[in-house]
Amino acid sequence: MIANVIGVLFDGVAYGSLLFIIAVGLAVTLGLMNFVNLAHGVFAMVGGYVCVVLMTRAGVPFLATLPVAFVAAAIVGLVLERTLYQHLYRASPLDQVLFTIGVVYMSIAGATYVFGSSQQPVFLPSYLRGQVHVLGVDLGVYRLFLVAVVALLTYALHLLLERTRFGSQVRASVDNPVAAAGLGINVNRVFALTFALGSGLAGLGGGLGIDVLGLDPTFPLKYMVYFLLVVAVGGSGTIKGPLVAAVILGVFDVSGKYFVPQIGGFVIYALMVLLLIVFPAGLYGRRT
Amino acid sequence: MRELLAVDNVTAGYGAAVVLEDVTLSLAEGDSLALLGRNGVGKTTLLVTLMGLTRLHRGSLQFAGANLAALSTYARARAGIGWVPQERYMWPSLTIEEHLTSVARPGRWTLAKIYEIFPRLEERRGNFGNQLSGGEQQMLAIARALVVNPRLLLLDEPMEGLAPIIVQDLMKVIRGLVAEGGMAMVIVEQHAKLALSLTRNAIVLDRGRIVHRSPSEALLEDPQTLHRLVAVA
Repeated sequence: MIANVIGVLFDGVAYGSLLFIIAVGLAVTLGLMNFVNLAHGVFAMVGGYVCVVLMTRAGVPFLATLPVAFVAAAIVGLVLERTLYQHLYRASPLDQVLFTIGVVYMSIAGATYVFGSSQQPVFLPSYLRGQVHVLGVDLGVYRLFLVAVVALLTYALHLLLERTRFGSQVRASVDNPVAAAGLGINVNRVFALTFALGSGLAGLGGGLGIDVLGLDPTFPLKYMVYFLLVVAVGGSGTIKGPLVAAVILGVFDVSGKYFVPQIGGFVIYALMVLLLIVFPAGLYGRRT
Repeated sequence: MRELLAVDNVTAGYGAAVVLEDVTLSLAEGDSLALLGRNGVGKTTLLVTLMGLTRLHRGSLQFAGANLAALSTYARARAGIGWVPQERYMWPSLTIEEHLTSVARPGRWTLAKIYEIFPRLEERRGNFGNQLSGGEQQMLAIARALVVNPRLLLLDEPMEGLAPIIVQDLMKVIRGLVAEGGMAMVIVEQHAKLALSLTRNAIVLDRGRIVHRSPSEALLEDPQTLHRLVAVA
């Protein structure tokens, strides 16, 4: 029984790690740039399809597809940010919601047209398949891999935002863009690069998550609420908040679906309501 | 001295609202100018117009021979204008040191030199922008503008709301900057006598127009005119 619980908890952590790596970009665009981007999952889907196409049509190994997924999603994000999104930074939240919902439905229709409506396959290398036996518990190798990759990425992201000049410029641009520009920071460029980084991470998460989350054209809509949950519960504008929130939500969602499957998503949404009542600004609000 | 800044018949404001009308002034390299006037006459608007944060309705702005009006705000800072805004605009999620390193550009104003003139900032280098006293914020706002290594420093009400002892310290620093002569300076200040004592020339604005120009010393020695213009005895 205990081994079972530990196994479920571990699956929840792995699931939460995936949610985090996809949603962390949304925490940046929503929390730092104050842009309500409901289409964030589109970038994850782009990354997923890039991986699938490279694997199935070009025979590229799974791991080699992941950097390409990151770059492709980052480029798509950068192009959309420069051509479309930047015009809506000063628009009302409702306008941003309507616009990005439109992007979601366009992407669903586009992906269905190109790839069909079925789930896409992923071919994991043999060394990432199967289970390992750790302290009496069977843990999925791929889930261990996911947790390790996300831990590394989180640390790298932390270093980038907290220890580099670029990271300081991002935070300055968010805290007060007028002052940042007045002191010589190219705020538009900083925001565009930040948006691209967030999109790229979502794309990477989309590729990494095919085996766990699945991939079909409805992906951006299916997981939209989960990504928003991570940011709303964690607190936008930080890394730590969404990380903690994603792991909590991942563990409770997986546990709920495993132990009380008859109530479906009740557990995770009840938890969201509770956490938002207790922490209305999220678990970790931004410094003001 | 070579001309650094030329403001020619500038009419500017916020959106359709005009605040400045037909303002013309010039400033040479290393020169200093006090910008005086009662509340709401357009002093801050003139500074933020130089930073590209208002709508320029008419006129031209030249900086070091280039068309300033064609540059975006960040490019004006990079061209050599250091801005100390009236609101100070600290960044709450950045430490003191990050405030400086995030905007620093090559030049004689290095982190070490900043800490030399503001030792208090070095002591608190790890503190965040929202953890500073008013005086420390003002020191940091000036320091942050200096590490951009500007040719022109715009100081908007640098003494506002500060304790007399802090004002004295800042006066000493600003006087030192003026004396060095390597950088031109425009100071907007409610305390007219302070600003006049720091600068070479003065301009008084009223309802968006320049109503007086003279050497600062002459205005300082003419209390009646000064009182009439800015209601300060």
